[in-house]
Amino acid sequence: MNFREILKFTTVADRVLFSILILFSLLGLIFVRSLILGGNSVEINVDGNLEYVLPLDEEKTVPVQGPQGTTLVEIRNHRVRVVESPCQNKLCIQQGWVEHGVIACLPNKVLITVGKNGKRGSEPDAVTE
Amino acid sequence: MLMNTIVTITVVASSERTAENAIEDAFLTIGDIEKRADFYSPESEITTINKSAGVSDVKVSPDILSLIGKALSVSEKTGGAFDITTGPVTLLYDFHTKQKPEDDALKKTLPLVNYRNVVINKKDSTVYLRKPGMMIDPGGISKGYAADRATDVLKQLGISSGIVAIAGDIRSFGLKPDGRPWKIGIRNSRATGTEDDIMATMELTDAAVSTSGDYERFFISDGIRYHHILSPMTGHPAGMCRSVTVIAPEGYLADSFSTGIFILGPDKGLPILETSGYGGVIVDNQGKVRITPGLRGKIEFQRNP
Repeated sequence: MNFREILKFTTVADRVLFSILILFSLLGLIFVRSLILGGNSVEINVDGNLEYVLPLDEEKTVPVQGPQGTTLVEIRNHRVRVVESPCQNKLCIQQGWVEHGVIACLPNKVLITVGKNGKRGSEPDAVTE
Repeated sequence: MLMNTIVTITVVASSERTAENAIEDAFLTIGDIEKRADFYSPESEITTINKSAGVSDVKVSPDILSLIGKALSVSEKTGGAFDITTGPVTLLYDFHTKQKPEDDALKKTLPLVNYRNVVINKKDSTVYLRKPGMMIDPGGISKGYAADRATDVLKQLGISSGIVAIAGDIRSFGLKPDGRPWKIGIRNSRATGTEDDIMATMELTDAAVSTSGDYERFFISDGIRYHHILSPMTGHPAGMCRSVTVIAPEGYLADSFSTGIFILGPDKGLPILETSGYGGVIVDNQGKVRITPGLRGKIEFQRNP
């Protein structure tokens, strides 16, 4: 029996049902993909807006424009640090290299999230400590 | 930063806007509770109660009244091992400057520690500490409580699934978009690096998980580890466990029981968890792991801690 013959046996309701099922499974793929892919990236937010999503395994230096000036962010060896910042206290620079977590420069409103979500494969969604 | 710790909220929502609004409100709720419950802030409600110890009762907000009421009920259930009145003893230690109290100072301070001397009046919304010098330090329950309240807010705003993690105090609800429960890891109490920092994982939802460990705030002096989980009976750091993880229906329960059971030790602690119907993973002072029978098969160990 080929596909055309099978189709003859279906009602309109059947076809609608099949279409919905296919649609949902595709949507599911997209959702799961976005969850899994989040794992190994660096997200840079400026004043609450997501400006950059960068892979953690690609060496790069990014000048990020904030209200006070340029915050220079360096990605190297799966780690991230702030090299230069226009802020007064330079706490973001003092934080040094970060493998997993957050670097925030409040004066320049720059927020860097390293290893966003951390949901690669078998990694937990949250850790109790 | 809120509660001097990292707060993470993850939600599954129908739109980004719903998610952002709900998360923002949840953060505000956590911040508000932190402000009211902060033991170290001169303006918090807790400090006002502590300053009025032995003098007068203090009118408090519904959150603080509820938090203290819950803390007292856990004190009862743990035979006083969990006690929010350890404040004066906590102040005798300084984990930054490696300061620990003399026996004399400890002896004088210990009589101030007793949850039975906390009087709450639900009708008038007041709290009174009977003895002058008494101090409530809600640090062992406030993060779990805040996670509960944040979860309430998220649910009210239409979020069907999510995780609120206030440092290591986690409350999860609903399922992930792939239909699986949330995967929660337990930190290895003696991790040497990122390779071995997770001891075990488990999948769960509609539950709260908290851990109390001797590795969070501590110093070592003359080969002895002095950490922040102090026994209300002796005033010394409790020595029978390295870490205690508790899984309970609500955050305040997981948070406070993990502290209480840490102080009681595995032999007394496990039966209490079992009769309460909570899950527990206890690493004793020799590094041996013991779990409540209900967790068998549900928890996956990555390595021996």
